[in-house]
Amino acid sequence: MTAENSHSSKHEDFVALYVRHEPAVFSFVLAMIGRSADAEDITQRASMTMWRCFEKYKPGTNFKNWAFQIAKNEALNHLTKAKRDRHVFSEKLIELLAKDTLEETDKLEARRRALDMCVKKLPPEDNEIVSGCYAEGVTVRSYAKEKGGSANKFYKKLNRIRVSSNNVSSVN
Amino acid sequence: MKDKELQEQIDSFLNETINDADSKALEKKLIDDPKARTHYLNEVTLHASLRRRFSLNAAPRILPFEKTLNPKIIYSLAASVVLFLGFLSFWLFSSPVAEVTHVVGAYRESGVAFEEGELINSGEIILSRGLLRLDFSNGARVTLEGPADLEIHDVNRIILNEGILTANIPKSAIGFTVDTEAAHVVDLGTSFGVSVRADGLTEVCVFDGEVEVSLPGELDSSNLSHLVREGEAISASVNSSVIDSVLYETSQFENAWPVNYGVLQTTGYMRFVSPGPDFHPGNYKDNEHIVVFPEKRGFLSNESMRVDMIDPGEYEKSHYEEKPTLVPHRAMTSYLLQLDAYPEGENPNRRRSVIGQITFANPIVGVITEDRLLNESEVVFGIPGVEYPSARTIEPRPEGDKREGFDKLILTADRHSLILELRENPGHLDQVRVLVEAQ
Repeated sequence: MTAENSHSSKHEDFVALYVRHEPAVFSFVLAMIGRSADAEDITQRASMTMWRCFEKYKPGTNFKNWAFQIAKNEALNHLTKAKRDRHVFSEKLIELLAKDTLEETDKLEARRRALDMCVKKLPPEDNEIVSGCYAEGVTVRSYAKEKGGSANKFYKKLNRIRVSSNNVSSVN
Repeated sequence: MKDKELQEQIDSFLNETINDADSKALEKKLIDDPKARTHYLNEVTLHASLRRRFSLNAAPRILPFEKTLNPKIIYSLAASVVLFLGFLSFWLFSSPVAEVTHVVGAYRESGVAFEEGELINSGEIILSRGLLRLDFSNGARVTLEGPADLEIHDVNRIILNEGILTANIPKSAIGFTVDTEAAHVVDLGTSFGVSVRADGLTEVCVFDGEVEVSLPGELDSSNLSHLVREGEAISASVNSSVIDSVLYETSQFENAWPVNYGVLQTTGYMRFVSPGPDFHPGNYKDNEHIVVFPEKRGFLSNESMRVDMIDPGEYEKSHYEEKPTLVPHRAMTSYLLQLDAYPEGENPNRRRSVIGQITFANPIVGVITEDRLLNESEVVFGIPGVEYPSARTIEPRPEGDKREGFDKLILTADRHSLILELRENPGHLDQVRVLVEAQ
């Protein structure tokens, strides 16, 4: 196998692993950070680190654990800076969330799959609200302003949709 | 979760409207109460799913990273990142050609396992061992047996550099092409197998339908092309200008073949019918094996149906009225397992006993063994145009025969496997119909 071939198959291995676990990594980062846009940046930065350090990862071992460690460190770096501006979760809570996420990883994964199916089946009005509020660059407040209606009304609607999605996925 | 305040705090945290005071209070609750953390993580999972689905770049995002990273870091990352981003964006923005639908011990050279649900784009697949089934977006189903080297050119064309594959090509994908160094194989609506040895020798076996085999472009000066039909096989060597007819022999395909049908493994004296024309139940008298045939695939019946077994465990006979009913709300694929014993050998009337196990890729939803139910289900799930042997109801039981039918029929707890131990007198026919959830 030429050096070129082995390099591109390393790519393939990494991408296969990463793409499979990325939803879990993003979810974990969001739990620590709270803000979606920041969580996305951090997840992406963590993915760079994972790629750079991929040599250190032993194939066949738990990629998710390894990836979560890296994501947690990136998150902690970010929070150290962010805490100058607002209250953020302490390292103590971050460690607890990390432990819980790893322990519950299978359950959370199952829930994620069920949710993805539910979300596909949202009725059109709900779908419109959710897609409006979750689109990039939009906050609920700005969406409310655009649509004409109090932000509160949309928060309530979103919560209701989230609750019913959660219920449906629990049943599944 | 009864704590209304906690819910409100979580909601405002995720809606990004929380103030510092509430954020501190939320943190305290999460640190003190593990249940609160579990609830919080569930809420985050939902929020994250919604975000990923509706945010513009719905897949892992590639941000212009100058925004977030120090320029010094950019330069040092430059080379590897450009490669990484290039590859990642290729991966993400080209639409997948195929999906991995079944794996049996399938590993890449690096030791990383292939997993069900992986999406495959054009490119190379090196399968170091195991079986891998790929379902293409045009309906073609290809099972690859490692060690193998396969290139996916696009949804209609693959290149087998080394290894063994079997393919089932529906009408929607006629024209699907398998290229090897020695031959160019175009499907005409069929199922077939292709094997390529290390020296490039290519064999093509047609199990059903027909394919057209010709030489690869450069050698094809005479436009030589062979129409190969079911029950026929050819071989071609690298750099040869000849395509030879060879003996039709399917044993090298017998591992990959069942995976195309959702059967991951058979052990003991159970075997999936070998690929080939005329695999009709009546043709398979065999004292040594329980033979397995696929029947209707991905079929949603309108009527509810009585079956003998739904729950894992050991089968116990029951009366017709007490039998469980399957209410159809999902598509099912049907398989017929059969022991067709016949008199032979020194002791022709000796009772035959056969044991075996079969593992399906998808869960088993119902098992049928009793004669009346077999007949009823045959109408719904049987292969059209096939005459099913009816010997099962004709042979009367000798008086005083305390035989209870199947000795053992066990559905495993994970629902993917069935273990059978059948004892049968020659001239008798035992059948089990297994209904499996379809993809």
